[in-house]
Amino acid sequence: MSETLLSVRDLRTVFETRAGMVRAVDGVDVEVRRGECLGVVGESGSGKSVTFASVMGLVRSPGRVEGGEIVFDGRDLRALNPRQMRAVRGRDIAMTMQDALTALNPALTVGEQLAEVLEAHDDTLDARGGGRARAIRERSVEMLGLVGIPSADKRLGQYPHEFSGGMRQRIMIAIALACRPKLLIADEPTTALDVTIQAQVLELISDIRRKLQMSVVLITHDLGIVAEHCDRVMVMYAGQVVEEGPTAQVIGAPRHPYTRGLLGSIPRLSLRGQPIRPIEGQVPDLIDLPPQCRFYSRCSERVDACLKPIAMREAAPGHRARCIHVAEQQP
Amino acid sequence: MSAGVATAPRAADSIFRQNLRNFAGNRLAVASAVVVLLFVLIAVFAPLIAPHNPNETDLFLRLQPPAWLPGGDWSYPLGCDALGRDILSRIIYGTRISIFIGAAVILVATTIGILAGLAAGYLRGWVDVVISRVVDILLGFPYLIFAIGLMAMMGPGLLNIILALAYKEWVIPCRVVRGETLATRELEYVEAARALGASRGHIMMREILPNILSPVIVVSTIRMAHVIILEASLSFLGLGVQPPTASWGSMVADGRAFMLEAWWVSTFPGLAILLLVLAINVASQGLRDAFDPRFQE
Amino acid sequence: MSLGKLLERLLQLLPVLLGVSLIVFVMMTLTPGDPVQIMIGDQSVTAEQEAALRRDLGLDRPIHERFFVFLGNAVQGDFGQSFYHRRPVSDVIAERLPATIELSLVALLVALVTSIPLGVLAAIRKNSFLDRIATVGSLLGVSLPGFWFGILLLLLFAVNLHWLPVSGRIGYSSEIAPITHFLLIDTLLRGRPDAFLDALSHIILPAITLGLPMTAILMRVTRTSMLEVLRQDYVTFAEAKGLSRRRILFRHALKNALIPTVSVAAIETGSLLGGNMIVETVFGWPGLGRLVVESIFLRNYPLVQAAVLFYAVTYVLLNFIADILYTVLNPRVRL
Repeated sequence: MSETLLSVRDLRTVFETRAGMVRAVDGVDVEVRRGECLGVVGESGSGKSVTFASVMGLVRSPGRVEGGEIVFDGRDLRALNPRQMRAVRGRDIAMTMQDALTALNPALTVGEQLAEVLEAHDDTLDARGGGRARAIRERSVEMLGLVGIPSADKRLGQYPHEFSGGMRQRIMIAIALACRPKLLIADEPTTALDVTIQAQVLELISDIRRKLQMSVVLITHDLGIVAEHCDRVMVMYAGQVVEEGPTAQVIGAPRHPYTRGLLGSIPRLSLRGQPIRPIEGQVPDLIDLPPQCRFYSRCSERVDACLKPIAMREAAPGHRARCIHVAEQQP
Repeated sequence: MSAGVATAPRAADSIFRQNLRNFAGNRLAVASAVVVLLFVLIAVFAPLIAPHNPNETDLFLRLQPPAWLPGGDWSYPLGCDALGRDILSRIIYGTRISIFIGAAVILVATTIGILAGLAAGYLRGWVDVVISRVVDILLGFPYLIFAIGLMAMMGPGLLNIILALAYKEWVIPCRVVRGETLATRELEYVEAARALGASRGHIMMREILPNILSPVIVVSTIRMAHVIILEASLSFLGLGVQPPTASWGSMVADGRAFMLEAWWVSTFPGLAILLLVLAINVASQGLRDAFDPRFQE
Repeated sequence: MSLGKLLERLLQLLPVLLGVSLIVFVMMTLTPGDPVQIMIGDQSVTAEQEAALRRDLGLDRPIHERFFVFLGNAVQGDFGQSFYHRRPVSDVIAERLPATIELSLVALLVALVTSIPLGVLAAIRKNSFLDRIATVGSLLGVSLPGFWFGILLLLLFAVNLHWLPVSGRIGYSSEIAPITHFLLIDTLLRGRPDAFLDALSHIILPAITLGLPMTAILMRVTRTSMLEVLRQDYVTFAEAKGLSRRRILFRHALKNALIPTVSVAAIETGSLLGGNMIVETVFGWPGLGRLVVESIFLRNYPLVQAAVLFYAVTYVLLNFIADILYTVLNPRVRL
């Protein structure tokens, strides 16, 4: 068994709009190792969510995956037919969404929404026939217990709106984890929550990751969360990866001006007494991009050489950044 | 603050132009608007266009078929009815009734609706309570039944039809205007006008009304199609304009008795209703899409 | 929804119902023509007899008193005598009601079974050929004048093709003793499948004509709400769970998408009532709608008054039911 669980090479996902072709994901490489937690950071529109929607085969019209290779656990996901892909979704790769209030169906009970995912991937259940319903129920109760919902047995018949915000988030996680996936993609799992509950939910995810020995992709725009929970981090900007590496290195010694900007704009990670500096300017329009460094217009360290395509450069073992200054500093 | 008073109407004006451009980009809607305009022209110039006097009877021409059928004659292109009247001329004159009643009802109802809606939404208090109650009660009647009851009471006649329909129709613009006024009355430029000591009448008519007019216009055009069908329905039941005046609804009713031998008597006037109503519906949908951001996909 | 809330909402209906009755009363009181004169017609009566009749009808009392008498009687189902039939108005209406209810229910059924699948299909295959056809069809549906469409159907299926009968509710040879007064049910209860088919052939064209605008509206509503629902996060999450497409569409999407459809259907059922007058007139359907139209020309005002009130009260109640249905179906809305 190789150490790599998910390997994405040169992924390109586009959206055809009236204004033109939006290159939302433009040549992205991702590697997720078994058991690790990868943080994915970027502003909204950086392509971080679309990248992983592409991995799950959930890009909706007018969007489509135009090219690239997605290999998960030794299988080429892009070669699978819809039925085979459905069998992967929910069983091998699971996803949680930003807001459980909108992700849970308001018209179905929590029990049903849990049971149906077990039902869909029934090879995860031992019992068959008459014992099946009981097995599904037991498993549902067990999952709710795992995410810390008390008296789970009674609460299966309730609707999502009868739970608090934090509870709903836990239920969504329980549903995602019901089939013991190898990879959990958690898309902004705490944005919709109160600060106090945020920490609990993240702790829960880390906890379960260790218990079930699964990999987690944590999509967020909060570098603080990454610093606390992720082994490695990947920074995205305008549809490209601009920096990736071990969390300590990327946050301790960021090599891309954008990453530095992100760190500078986060109050709790900036040095005391140093003013918070939001990055000036705006993300470029993803239609008709010129072949240059995408951060050029906002970069304080730009030089003329930045006006051509920039490749990722190795700054240290396992730490790479898409900046022309990297090579100069570390030949 | 006073700058807000000056800029708000100008901003509304440029949005209006932008919306108009949106509408012009919708080819089907523009074509439909042209069809509606054509009907209006037909109504205005009916005496010049109609080949015959719409009420002139000639028993020799009784149930004469359309020109392209055996026994037809191109001087009566769509044939004649049971009294030997030229169907085409009657349809042309019937356009006047449909468009006049449709426009009059909408005009009266929208005027009343705007005044009542502004009063309810801006003045609030007992004015709002009374108006809203009346609206609720009128909404308690199915439209056609309310109109039929009124027509039974008032007797037939052009003015009575307009009144019978307008009595209930004003409720619809009233509700729209009330809602929009409630949403607008606390906005900055209204507050500014209030702070500057503008009268209530001035605020309602000069500050609020111009900015909420778009949805009202959109709703009114959509409603005009309904009103035309309602008038035709009343006339079909014999409760509308009285013979011998040509109305599309009563022409369809006239033809029912001769369905077996003369299908054209009912068919062509009905087709005219369908064409006009369809054109209004498509055009107003285009207006709605262009003017109401909630419907833009 | 709790029982208390339900009662509260019911109580809110009272002022509306009172206002509706007042309008109906005023409408008929102001109607030109003296009811006593209409009743007398061309019979010769003395002034005393006329005054006695006026007193019997309560027409000599002041107008506000007459309103409360009218209201009191109406609550007890007493709407006076039908001048024309020389029987209580309530009896005449009760006699005609089953035909109208049967027609409305079949029209509702036709509208529901055609509009919902079409709306769902149009939404799933957005911008497809079928979607375009459905859009054009729904525009036509709301633009077609019902009385004309009915005549066209008659021309085609009854007059030209002779497939279906021209008017009435059932043929002479199929008449049966009533049980429920709904012919489609009674014919089956009496074990007469031939009569059932006959009744069905009579009702199909009026039901289609009556249901057409409703079909068009419900299809639009279903399509719009289905499109809206398919954009929701919970549909994406259901896809991420690896559920089958069928389960996502029917269990997750449709259950939510039908909430507005059902409540609009309840409201539109009220509008069917208005359409009844037209459709029953076109198809010679012996129901309440045609009776009202005929009564207007016979100046049979007590009947018109009772029928208008009946329609209005039914309409108000249907709107109320639409409201309640929306609340009940939508677990999120707690009023």
